[in-house]
Amino acid sequence: MENIVQARGLSRSFGDIRAVDSLEFSVPPGAVLGLIGPNGAGKTTLLRSLLGLNQFQGELAVLGKDPRSQRAQLMEQVCFIADTAVLPGWMRVEQLLDYVTGVHPGFAREQAEAFLRDTEVKPSRRIRDLSKGMVVQVHLALVMAIDARLLILDEPTLGLDILVRKRFYEQLIEDYFDQQRTIIISTHQVDEVQHILTDVMFLNHGRLVLSRSMEEIEKQFVQLNAVGENAVKALGVPHLGAQSILGGKAIIYEGVERAALAPLGELRTPSVADLFVAMMGGEK
Amino acid sequence: MTSTRSLRLFTLVQKELQENRLSLIWTPLVVAAALCLLMLLSVMFASRITAMSDTFLEVIMAEEMGISPVITIELDDNHTASSPSSDSRSVTDMQVQSVEEPLAEEEWDFSREWRFEPELRDKPAYEAEQVGSLNPVFHLVHSLLLIILMLVTVSYLLGSLFNDRKDRSILFWKSMPVSEWEEVLTRLGVALVVAPGIYIAVSLLLQLALLLLAMLLVWRMELDPFDTVLANVRFADLLLRQVGGWVMTALWVAPVYAWLMLASAWARRSPFMVAFAPVIALMLVESLMLGSRYVFTAVSNHVPFFVGGQSSDNIYFHSMFWKQFDFVSLFAGLGFAAILLLLCVYLRRYRFEA
Repeated sequence: MENIVQARGLSRSFGDIRAVDSLEFSVPPGAVLGLIGPNGAGKTTLLRSLLGLNQFQGELAVLGKDPRSQRAQLMEQVCFIADTAVLPGWMRVEQLLDYVTGVHPGFAREQAEAFLRDTEVKPSRRIRDLSKGMVVQVHLALVMAIDARLLILDEPTLGLDILVRKRFYEQLIEDYFDQQRTIIISTHQVDEVQHILTDVMFLNHGRLVLSRSMEEIEKQFVQLNAVGENAVKALGVPHLGAQSILGGKAIIYEGVERAALAPLGELRTPSVADLFVAMMGGEK
Repeated sequence: MTSTRSLRLFTLVQKELQENRLSLIWTPLVVAAALCLLMLLSVMFASRITAMSDTFLEVIMAEEMGISPVITIELDDNHTASSPSSDSRSVTDMQVQSVEEPLAEEEWDFSREWRFEPELRDKPAYEAEQVGSLNPVFHLVHSLLLIILMLVTVSYLLGSLFNDRKDRSILFWKSMPVSEWEEVLTRLGVALVVAPGIYIAVSLLLQLALLLLAMLLVWRMELDPFDTVLANVRFADLLLRQVGGWVMTALWVAPVYAWLMLASAWARRSPFMVAFAPVIALMLVESLMLGSRYVFTAVSNHVPFFVGGQSSDNIYFHSMFWKQFDFVSLFAGLGFAAILLLLCVYLRRYRFEA
């Protein structure tokens, strides 16, 4: 099957600053891609380019379309949650459902209503009177009921409490995700999404630092938790980064045989968050 | 396929009306209700000749004397000269002359397109009646609603491409399969067609209600309502001028409305400043540097003209319309509007972050 996203030489600058710098990547169908990077790394710019919300240079095809000129058609196949604040506050929930029913050919209203029945959100409530968590529920209800091939989430859980965040991702995986659908998530809360990701992209200063599947990460990266003298020895081996842990170091290696490290301590696959910290300059 | 398309259009318009229900729907209804209530009160106290019925009588009397409450201005000099109209006509004309004198020729130019002078052939038939035509009274009511419409529309347009950028809900709208062209044209359509449609419909209903109340009032004053009121209203003329008038007005104000939308799409802080400051600055610079008033003329050509505080009998269908029609100004305006809309779409697409 053709790739959902195909980018080559994708760039966008603001004055001298290259927010996104010659990116080259592809997203296969059925992937759940985590887009991870520090603030200002270019995540939002990249996602907006995918959505046809800003101009860019280079080649980019989303579902075979050019987002710059075909945003409206693209949005029949792509769903997008920017963050929780963007639903129009003046609208009532039922008016919002009316609107999406009217303009979106792939929207199944009954499904959204069924989803909302399980929440505390009443259809007659105005969006601005809802709590942040409830607004997310409404947005999720819309997205769930749209038969889209690609879902793009840009910091979807920013500012939400941990219970709502957990529920959000649970619902996303249980009710939404199937092998046909592709999801791209950008978030700072890496730990919370790690278990649902199939692929990871690290972005820093607009450049791709790492782009792997979770399987590859498992194979290629290893974290060694070593204490005492072993830690000193372990630091002698070329590594990506190290962190202090109680009584020793947690050291992350790329492409080092596990067997060679095994005598020095406990081996495990690094978490995406730890890997991110190691690669983004946690190495001291 | 057509049904989904019309549902789509309906949905887009409905959203605009829901968002602006206060100014686009409730305002005309409340104004109409208030006017009806006033009229009703005057009917209830008619026997005691209250201030209201006084006013009403005054209007009728004034009309009888040939002084219409709406100042009708005879601009067409030839007509006046050759008109077989009664003395009462010249009373109107003289009044008008004094208003007209201090104004420059250009300023009046634009009014020609707007001006409707009731055809003289209508006049004698009604002047023969006891009471003059009541049409001007209804036009006054209609004008009141249209003035409110204009104010409301200006504020609607200034917010139309700005508010959702400010509260960031544009990111939601853009996640829907609706193109920028649809968004921009929907809003223009609401301003030019839907909102005026609502206001004019309310105005017509209001006029009907006032008519019935007036008949009731006259009947309570022991006059014949059919003879005194009904016979003095020319319904076809009312409809033609009030409905047809808007069609012409819409063509003329389109560039102004498009300009307001551009200001709305452009502004980072205040669409109002973006809309008005450059135009006023341009007028000032022109008059200071060149001493001319081309910008002023160009703009005022396309502003419904009671905004300048002048008389209001002007947004009606002009029977002489096609003869004294400034085609250049009209088409220049429409072309300008098209360019502005193009810019709106571009800004909406690529520079929406407020």
